[in-house]
Amino acid sequence: MSSAGLRVDLGRGLVLPNPVGLASGTAGYGFELAQLIDLDRLGALYTKGTTRLPREGNPPPRVAETERGMLNSIGLHNPGVDWVAEHYAPLFAAWRIPVVVNVAGAEISDYMHCARHLDGVEGVAGVELNISCPNIAHGLDFGRDAAGAARLVDAVRAVTGRHVMVKLSPNVTDIAAVARAVEGAGADSVSAVNTYVGMKIHRASGRPVLPQGTGGLSGPAIHPLALAAVAEVRAAVRIPVVAAGGIDDVATAFDFFAVGADAIQVGTASFADPTTALRVLDGLAERAAAGRIPARWGTTAVGSP
Amino acid sequence: MVSVEQLDGGLIEVTARLPRLAAAAVPGQFAQLRCGDHGGPLLRRPFSVAWTESQTCSFVFEVVGEGTRLLAELTAGDVLDSLGPLGRGFSVDAARGEVVCVSGGLGCAPFPLLVRSLRSRGVRDIIVLNGAASAERLYPADRFTRGDAGVGVVEATDDGSRGHHGFVTELLAPMVSSVTAVYACGPNAMLAAVATQVTGAGSPRVAEASLEAPMGCGFGTCLGCALPLRGDGRGPLWGLCCSDGPVLPLRSVDWAALLALPAADVA
Repeated sequence: MSSAGLRVDLGRGLVLPNPVGLASGTAGYGFELAQLIDLDRLGALYTKGTTRLPREGNPPPRVAETERGMLNSIGLHNPGVDWVAEHYAPLFAAWRIPVVVNVAGAEISDYMHCARHLDGVEGVAGVELNISCPNIAHGLDFGRDAAGAARLVDAVRAVTGRHVMVKLSPNVTDIAAVARAVEGAGADSVSAVNTYVGMKIHRASGRPVLPQGTGGLSGPAIHPLALAAVAEVRAAVRIPVVAAGGIDDVATAFDFFAVGADAIQVGTASFADPTTALRVLDGLAERAAAGRIPARWGTTAVGSP
Repeated sequence: MVSVEQLDGGLIEVTARLPRLAAAAVPGQFAQLRCGDHGGPLLRRPFSVAWTESQTCSFVFEVVGEGTRLLAELTAGDVLDSLGPLGRGFSVDAARGEVVCVSGGLGCAPFPLLVRSLRSRGVRDIIVLNGAASAERLYPADRFTRGDAGVGVVEATDDGSRGHHGFVTELLAPMVSSVTAVYACGPNAMLAAVATQVTGAGSPRVAEASLEAPMGCGFGTCLGCALPLRGDGRGPLWGLCCSDGPVLPLRSVDWAALLALPAADVA
């Protein structure tokens, strides 16, 4: 199935060959999945959250299955930005799929360091600022506070010419306010949503399954919640909105286009079936061929050359 | 699905027509099986490939939660959705002469395939030390040997209802110095006990264990199945059960850290 004509221009040089991406934290750095699927057919790869220094991550258990979902508390286990730039970026550069590096940190200076370091690296199409990881201390601080998020984006904007996407946390009282704040500070796009804070109890012991207590909930269980959040974000900003949350087929992906998303990310569903994103893309291409795609999704004309 | 066999003691062996997996799987590798269809659990469940024929693969398990319950309910003719082979299998190239496999409970799963592979590579004698809680929970000896006289099975039960009364690891001690390889699969406490026997001078060249951990994906992207490996001494170095393992050298695992982890949430 051809996916020509599905191109999405998210701005500042980030042009997706099609709107179907792989969400951060569910696609590693690409090479793991590349053994199982043809990555180069997809629209974008958003990498595992990457920090200034390598991180070992949290002690196990790190994942717990829930009703139509899963909780994770990985703790940003990653090799650090230097390793990514040196060892993984050359792979990214050789692929057709645009790779957006998800960046996380505890301080504004951490994000600035990573963004600056990645700015000149071939193969990095942009950065996605993880202002909302629920699994590390301080990880939520920027995402919860609109003013803090704006300061962060402003600082990162100053050190990179690449596309800056901001991944929004749904664990806030006013996601629209955070979205508006990061748009005002110069973000090129937003992605929504990160995981919802959740908990599972080990029934035999009465204690949380995850040693940290809580984790991030993802999967089909959060789809209606994510839809509501994306609709709210769409109404709040003019920059492109990349939607994520519980997509496991073309229908659940299309729901996000119905509320104005410009592109989507397939996440947890890839764990159970790594071909999910390709199936979503094929379904999208079929609908496009049948003329069943809206002329305009959100703020970006999709299907224009 | 070709067959679903209920063995004694709650063990279940399923066989499915999976020709590509059968052709590609090496001993110790696993497949991620979908348990139930869209009404079933979101995530797949990992199972060692226990046996292969040219067109089929078999898996051994017991019902411990919703996923395995749904898997056990499948019948011949049902579709089994499998992703694999995944992970790193056992090292078989360095095994010579005499080797020993140590199996505890459901740890039997990878050994029939490993035994066949070792014999086809010219390993002369294979002893399978097979332990379980009781006689009925022992995986049948003839499924390790498959009629091969070069393979011996010595059994142990916790309750003494068959074979050696005690832990299977107690049978290992007298053999460790004479074998070229030790392969182990079973509960973490058993693997840790094996590990203490295969360190030091005169240890077998190959000493490996197949481990398990709760997994999100099975192919290295979710980073969920962390296992503590021996790092630089400043704390555990997390490896991934699915892609660094599930078979790891016994020496590379931080057994004290592994045994200190909370019990897995079984679903």
